[in-house]
Amino acid sequence: MATTVNPVDIQPRQVANKSEKRALLDAIRMTLKIQSPAVRHNTQTFNRNRYVAVAKLADYDQLKDRARQIKEQAIADSPRLLKQLEESVVRNGGHFYLAPTAEDANAYIRRVLVEHSVKLVVKGKSITSEETRLNHTLEGAGIKVAETDLAEFILQVADEQPSHIIAPALHYSRERITALFKRKFDTDLPLDTGEELTKFAREKLREQFIEADAGISGANLIAADSGSIMLVESEGNIRMTTTLPPLHIAIAGIEKVIPSREQFGTFLELLPASATGQPLTSYVSILHPPLKSPPFAAPGKQEQPREFHLVLLDNGRSRMREDPVLREALYCIRCSACLNSCANFETVGGHAFGGETYSGGIGGSWEAGTGKLMNARFAELCTACSRCVNQCPVRIDIPWLNENLRQRMNHAQPTSFARSLFGELTGSAPADTSAPLQKQFFGNYHTFAKWGTTTAGLSNSSLDSPLIASAMEKVFGVDHRRELPKFPEKSWVDLHREEHRNGTSPSTHLPKLALFADVFTNFGYPERGMAAIRVLRKCGYDVELTPSLADGRAPLSQGMIDTARQQATAMLRMLRPYVESGRLLVVVEPSVLAMFRFDLRHLMEDQTFFAKLRDISFEPMQLVWKASQEFGLDLSATFPAERWHHDPRLFYHSHCQQRTCNAASETIDVLRACGFDVVTSSVECCGMAGSFGYKADYYELSMAVGEDLFSQVRAAEEENQPRILVASGISCHEQIWAGLKRPVHHPVEVLDQIAI
Amino acid sequence: MASPAIDAPSMLLEQFVTAARNAAATAEVVDRNPQALADAILAKAGDAHCILFAPPQVMPAELFAQFAADPRVITQPDSEQMVHSAVGVIEAFGGVARTGSVCVDVNYQRTGVVSLITPLCIAVLASENIVPQPRDLFRQDLLHGAGLTRDFVFITGPSATADMGPLVRGVHGPHRQHIIVVR
Repeated sequence: MATTVNPVDIQPRQVANKSEKRALLDAIRMTLKIQSPAVRHNTQTFNRNRYVAVAKLADYDQLKDRARQIKEQAIADSPRLLKQLEESVVRNGGHFYLAPTAEDANAYIRRVLVEHSVKLVVKGKSITSEETRLNHTLEGAGIKVAETDLAEFILQVADEQPSHIIAPALHYSRERITALFKRKFDTDLPLDTGEELTKFAREKLREQFIEADAGISGANLIAADSGSIMLVESEGNIRMTTTLPPLHIAIAGIEKVIPSREQFGTFLELLPASATGQPLTSYVSILHPPLKSPPFAAPGKQEQPREFHLVLLDNGRSRMREDPVLREALYCIRCSACLNSCANFETVGGHAFGGETYSGGIGGSWEAGTGKLMNARFAELCTACSRCVNQCPVRIDIPWLNENLRQRMNHAQPTSFARSLFGELTGSAPADTSAPLQKQFFGNYHTFAKWGTTTAGLSNSSLDSPLIASAMEKVFGVDHRRELPKFPEKSWVDLHREEHRNGTSPSTHLPKLALFADVFTNFGYPERGMAAIRVLRKCGYDVELTPSLADGRAPLSQGMIDTARQQATAMLRMLRPYVESGRLLVVVEPSVLAMFRFDLRHLMEDQTFFAKLRDISFEPMQLVWKASQEFGLDLSATFPAERWHHDPRLFYHSHCQQRTCNAASETIDVLRACGFDVVTSSVECCGMAGSFGYKADYYELSMAVGEDLFSQVRAAEEENQPRILVASGISCHEQIWAGLKRPVHHPVEVLDQIAI
Repeated sequence: MASPAIDAPSMLLEQFVTAARNAAATAEVVDRNPQALADAILAKAGDAHCILFAPPQVMPAELFAQFAADPRVITQPDSEQMVHSAVGVIEAFGGVARTGSVCVDVNYQRTGVVSLITPLCIAVLASENIVPQPRDLFRQDLLHGAGLTRDFVFITGPSATADMGPLVRGVHGPHRQHIIVVR
């Protein structure tokens, strides 16, 4: 067995490439030990500011639609736009080069610099040049490269890869930067505050700006019609890079090209608001170089004429364009909202949740598209919690991209007899039987749940046995510290069948409901399901419980997309008559509701039926609220908090996917209307995220993510007055129990207990 | 009765000044005459030994004449003077009410360098050139479509970074951004 390296001895560069699983696991240990506090602070600050900034954009949704449309058109029309752009650049007096590969781009830039006898080049922030490893090539040719963005400067000093796509050194705390500079520079200057560090770096870099013969920048967007580039920054280093030296080279991916300069207006406000949460950054430059103003000539140097080169990089992007999944990543405008709204990313950052260049939820597609598929292994850290989905300014369904990457990685594995047999027995689609046993175990959860419920006595006592726990960890990678849910003696559907004669639906004018017996509630928490039926009937709804079929969520999250499609097809066939009879669909488990609200669209042909499902599916508490708002139900009379046997002070945590579905606020409204005092969590995700937290490889990360939620509970109880914990998601319950060892209630159970 | 056509610019001006201050710039509104403008600029420049000045492109040169007559003002700086001056004075051809940004043509003579290289940058903006939102710079019907053709920069407050831990103002660009709106 490989020796376990002490996390403090792991260098980020050593674990940048995650094609080996060991690198991913080591990177998680290293980041949790060293980088997590700074990453958390910085990403969560961006995330909070982003929510405030986008709320101030009056037409945020329309801007997103427009941005998406522009990018879709631009990528579709890319070959023509590149031609047009070349003409524009040449007309402006610049040079244009379309580089097929990273090596070609580097060779071109080196040649231009050598021809101009450049000794020192200043660089503005450019992640594309990180992708091509440009510095390495230039330094090999004897050209000194000065990274002038302060974050890139830190990385250059530390020799590390970026950990974030817009703030590449955000894994460094001020204290760690001080220690790094003291170690690397021979200086007596005080370096103990942000100001002192900035002053130190500024003075070093000011000399470089003045001396530099050439500047290399990236480009946030490029307009084909005019050859204009948009550059977004706050430090001023990009302006220095593009303004002072006579020779300016801009390098960018071909996906940055959009048809017209006039369209910059759509992205101008959307990008900074989605990125750092600023209305605008300090500087947004709109240039169509070469500039006509004279360049800066250092004292004693002669003024040179200006020259501009635009280097556009393909490096796999044309292939991505032909790929229906990876093509989506080409729409990305690199704002980082998907990183900052991701609980896993907020906890470990891009040195774990990232590859050699790109990081976060969108990063997997980029690493796979510009490199090798297995380099995207870190996409395993995307739990499909979906918090990024509504934050993406170009509406990329990032979890779907990662589920596809996972599928491709599953398929890339050599299959084995054990995997095939296991898959066949448990319900995997033929194409998915090459997936690792762990994935097939979680993907076919409903099969185990059905077996477990049939033999509840035996299976539950087995789950308690340390021997079984150890076997589960060895075979399926289920962490032994987790408690697997117990199986009930009777499923929800069975319970309901038995109790049917006691609970008939009232005949009212409220809409009729079909309550979907999702497998998680059916085989895990049948009593909760029964509570949902009683509460909805109490509100006056006619409720019919459907049969229980798997919905596709579990295999989808494991990248077993064919299996998910099979499950979804069978479920939809079963549900169609309910829907066609005009019943609204109610789903207790939020991760399943999210299937109806958005994920199923990827798994079904009939998009009209999907749109129908999306519009008629609800979380139970949404319908309770609807009954009070539209049908005159008096909540405080029907569900009076005074009847609650516990403290009426609650702490409520809504489920990540429930919030993405906009199906969480009604729970809070209902509980408050009943008379409860409700404090809510503000974390993006509890860290359990379905099967993710059960996996032994990710247990520590999952618990570290959960710590944010646990500490919010503690903060809400700081006057030593405990609150009753309430949560809507099954996995949130498990996570809160694991972290706080306190019981958690479901909102429908609360209402059921106090109903008059 | 006040018509919206008259009210709107003054509302934009008010919004602009508030937004500029929120973006950590300083802003003041002065009357449009050479004396008032010179007083405002020189008061802000304090005892700077030399003041870089990029002459205006849109506003009349006479408006700046009194300021430009100050012996410390340099319009054709050599590189030493550029590197060591404490104050740069530039014209902004547009302003943005929602963000407090000034739009500066970086292609016109030395305006780009002057707006960037000194610790204090003073931008002079005509009140009628304030538009509501950043995206308005990409409209043909506002500012005579200047934003669609020029090489320019939206400057929103002083240069800043959070890369060294806490937010620090004053990195490679100016540490202080002052805006004088002439009405």
